[in-house]
Amino acid sequence: MVRPIQNIVIVGGGTAGWLTAGVIAARHQGRIQQGNFSVTLIESPNVPIIGVGEGTWPTLRTTLEKMGVSETDLFRHCDAAFKQGARFARWTTGADDDGYYHPLMLPQGFTQVNLVPHWLESEQGRSFCDAVTPQGALCDEGLAPKTITTPEYQAVANYAYHLDAGKFAPFIQKHCTTKLGVRHLLADVQTVNLAENGDIKSLTTEQAGEIAGDLFVDCTGFRSLLLGNALGVGFKECKDVLFCDTAMAMQVPYETPESPMASHTISTAHSAGWTWDIGLPTRRGIGYVYSSHHISDEDAEAELRHYIGPQAKGLTPRKIPIRSGHRETFWKNNCVAIGLAAGFLEPLESSAIVLVELSAKLIAEQMPANRDVMDIVAARFNDVNHYRWGRIIDFLKLHYVLTKRPEKFWQDNTDPASVPDRLKNLLHLWKYQPPWFFDEFDRIEEVFPAASYQYVLYGMGFKTEVMPGDNSGTRSTAIGYMNENTAMTRKLRTQLPKNRDLVKKIHEYGLQAI
Amino acid sequence: MPNIVLLNSQTHRTLCVQAGASARYGDNQRFVPVIMGEFPHLAVHYPILLTKDQDTGQFFAGAMLGFDEGENLFLDARGMETYRPLNLQRGPFFTAGDDLAIDLDSPRIDEAGRPLFTESGEPTQYLQSIMALFRDLKPGLAVTKNFVQTLSSLKLIEPIDIDLAFDDGSKRSLTGLYTINQNALRALPDADVIDLFRRDYLQVIYLMIVSLKQVPVLARRKNNALLKATAALQGA
Repeated sequence: MVRPIQNIVIVGGGTAGWLTAGVIAARHQGRIQQGNFSVTLIESPNVPIIGVGEGTWPTLRTTLEKMGVSETDLFRHCDAAFKQGARFARWTTGADDDGYYHPLMLPQGFTQVNLVPHWLESEQGRSFCDAVTPQGALCDEGLAPKTITTPEYQAVANYAYHLDAGKFAPFIQKHCTTKLGVRHLLADVQTVNLAENGDIKSLTTEQAGEIAGDLFVDCTGFRSLLLGNALGVGFKECKDVLFCDTAMAMQVPYETPESPMASHTISTAHSAGWTWDIGLPTRRGIGYVYSSHHISDEDAEAELRHYIGPQAKGLTPRKIPIRSGHRETFWKNNCVAIGLAAGFLEPLESSAIVLVELSAKLIAEQMPANRDVMDIVAARFNDVNHYRWGRIIDFLKLHYVLTKRPEKFWQDNTDPASVPDRLKNLLHLWKYQPPWFFDEFDRIEEVFPAASYQYVLYGMGFKTEVMPGDNSGTRSTAIGYMNENTAMTRKLRTQLPKNRDLVKKIHEYGLQAI
Repeated sequence: MPNIVLLNSQTHRTLCVQAGASARYGDNQRFVPVIMGEFPHLAVHYPILLTKDQDTGQFFAGAMLGFDEGENLFLDARGMETYRPLNLQRGPFFTAGDDLAIDLDSPRIDEAGRPLFTESGEPTQYLQSIMALFRDLKPGLAVTKNFVQTLSSLKLIEPIDIDLAFDDGSKRSLTGLYTINQNALRALPDADVIDLFRRDYLQVIYLMIVSLKQVPVLARRKNNALLKATAALQGA
């Protein structure tokens, strides 16, 4: 008799735990209601939530919609605001006017024609971003990506959210327990009981006794109680590629409650790292991510305060250690790790929550029918996750390798020995042919598509040689898309409201479901 | 800019108002907000649809009178023969709390129009009819809002795309209009159906569904108007 997989036990009540619970429970709602499938989340009443990540990816819209969450509620309960991408300031030269966008919209006609060589051939004083998408201009003007009449989760311009991670986990928790039938246990795990084959048989908890399960999801954060501690899976650091090992964060009030709220993350380079600046309706979340080998905490704090200005007065920063890297494997036996338990990278491209979503979705969609086939799914999960973590590390490193900044931190980052081979090869290739839709980044759920590489490369002044005559065949199509982009930019600038104004209206009236 | 003031039998004793339907006085509207009590009158002439308030995103019900901005296909030199929605009938009048108010800058304010007060300062029959109209309109707005909110919470609203090609070669593509989702209506649990019936909402829902048959009728009206205009041009 093969043992069916029916009881999922998730340990950890942070963002990763609750999102995973919600995604799995929503996908298997039918079986839950028939009583032959269960999702249980065990949360320690004594461990505080880290609440990492206030920036998200557009995937979160689909994830929440599938879970049956109202977008209006998200805005009202999680201090959420719109995010249309990120602006990287001072990353290339460090000058005042040095900056580029990594927007969330693909370049116009992305699947039809590669606009890069056409833009390279005739820049006409426009940045790559402005030539191919309206989104940079929308961010410049602090506009929202939709209007009050746009239905929930639908976009005029592609968007994600900035949100208060401390409010997000309890918000999803409430939805999971009241709407999706997720069982919630407040208990501390004391021992992880293993079977002979190395599977986790059950957990002994202080408050709720022994909890058995068929599949255990480790969402216990950096501690990785199940996969790391109990099953002994090691951690693979990547500090040889990504040097930042510390973050110093502050929550900064606006000058007035009506101050403009940026609809993109502002990521500014400093002497030994970079700051994030995320606008929520009630405050800005700002933090300096730096390499402690290149700057002292005192000097880092001084740089952070200088960036914030007078608003930093009287605020105390919270220091958070960053251990960049991931588990050597993500799914072993009947235990899979998601969230910080799987790994962590500096939050340069908000990759934390999107990885949780993608992992949870993969587990939910490919939920092993029984223990016999679980190892097949696990192998697939590990393959996909190794690929994803690898590509994210490459993509984060890309932001550093093209810099011309003189400081040691930045120069060390350009040392070829610190650049992963795959990225090194691609950079070599891209000198002669620009990345596009068809090459390299071809997975169905690619975290960063070729478009993202285009925005960073050409935002930082990367030069690709255009083969003479190569553009002639697609020139008229390309010009058509770029003209369309100019017209669309003009139209959206007059139609879209200010980011803060729309968020206020959503609080007051709500968005319609259709 | 409207200049809305409370109506007063002293200061406004001699004021006269043009009450008839005319484009010149603002009856040239293609979509007029309506209340539930009007639905039986409307459904035999116009499509009754929902749209979103541009400022709040909230749904409201309206009668569709035309396709283009400022087009009321039921308006001719003699006025409006078919049922005239209350929101057009009310003319330059508004309510401010329990009081009646009037827009003094409305083009309807005209010496040749109907007087509001008698010489002794009593409301004329016309003004009394306006007061009666607001006794229906004001509570009707609240009732209709509840109705639309019920439709929304039961997920009974769906978008309807109206694409038309006219004989003069022109096309119209209307977006932002919504109607009853009949599949969702059929799938409602029994308890919800009974609740809708008891609140008199069910018949209103069916009136909205029936009124969709007015879309092609309205399109024919538009087509005739376009052909007439083309013929006139060719004649000239």
